[in-house]
Amino acid sequence: MVLRVSLEERLATRSAVTVPSNIPSSVLAAARAPFRYHRYALVDRGAYEYDDAPHAPELVAAITARIAEVAGERRAFISARAIRLGPGDYLLARHDRIHETRVLECVLDLSPAPIAHAEVHYRQHGQVFFRVPCDPGSVAMVPRGPTVSCNFTYVSKLHTGAEVVRWIALFG
Amino acid sequence: MWCLDHAWQEEGLLATTWRAAAPFPHLVFDNFVAADQLDALMAALDEEHIARYEGDLFAFEASAPEPASTELAELRAEFARVLAPPLSRITGKPVTRVDMRAYAYRPGHYLLPHSDHQDGLARVLAYAYYLPSPDPPRGGELELYRVELANDEATVTETARLIEARSNRLVVFDVSTISLHQVREVLGGLRISLAGWFYA
Repeated sequence: MVLRVSLEERLATRSAVTVPSNIPSSVLAAARAPFRYHRYALVDRGAYEYDDAPHAPELVAAITARIAEVAGERRAFISARAIRLGPGDYLLARHDRIHETRVLECVLDLSPAPIAHAEVHYRQHGQVFFRVPCDPGSVAMVPRGPTVSCNFTYVSKLHTGAEVVRWIALFG
Repeated sequence: MWCLDHAWQEEGLLATTWRAAAPFPHLVFDNFVAADQLDALMAALDEEHIARYEGDLFAFEASAPEPASTELAELRAEFARVLAPPLSRITGKPVTRVDMRAYAYRPGHYLLPHSDHQDGLARVLAYAYYLPSPDPPRGGELELYRVELANDEATVTETARLIEARSNRLVVFDVSTISLHQVREVLGGLRISLAGWFYA
């Protein structure tokens, strides 16, 4: 039984992909504008800004459709949050929320410009199995369960003025 | 190599300084190694292989947890022999053995906030000794945080002290659930150090 679950999890993580969202950049910029951020700064877990209830119905509709194209199945939207990181920001794996049930996490990159090494790392049993680079307009689709965690890598202060914006949505 | 100067003779004063230090007990010693010993100290590290390490918490280059060369192993053994007895008396925490790795932080390298405390590891004191750098670092300071805990979780974390990674400086600090600290990102130059923990 343990082996079967482990195999299922392994296969699930192998299906993680990053694809173009096919959402026009003007729509992405418009979606980003109304987010209302709060600062998180318990530095043993993370330093970043967040909006836990970003109102973006156009993004929900577009990503729901994109999932259907890529995965060939209809998924139900559960919730979303927006995360913004600047130079010196990060979000550690120990601060990530563990999902007890299987969900599909989509990371839509709303950043104004690519930032080198500003990635999302998905881990299984602590080992990185999937890296999501900062690539504006892309969307990563990552199956998650109890053994998967993620972290947002440190954004270097050498990238003066960097702005990394991600809309993270869960689908059932 | 590790010769304690007159400052170490005042153990009562050091103990008072240790206890009074904020946000948690620590000591800073400048000019820790005699100037005429620094070349020999750097030469002892010549044979040590350095590799890149990266995790969600850190990106830096370091030697392996166990020294590859007899020179670094001897340096570590002498460090423990010379420093463990006075540090035990000054801090009131008996320590015996020590580990030691060589670290190189280049631009973009960092070690994000953490406490060093882990149940079962018996780390008692942490230390960092900053080696002379051919290109002194910009950034790379040791940042100490004031922490408030509730149910073993931090509810407040505030910067309380910055310690510059100055050549030939030794920093020793307490390891506990509130000893939150980080190495700020190096923005230029090269930050090289020997660092590790004293154990009970």
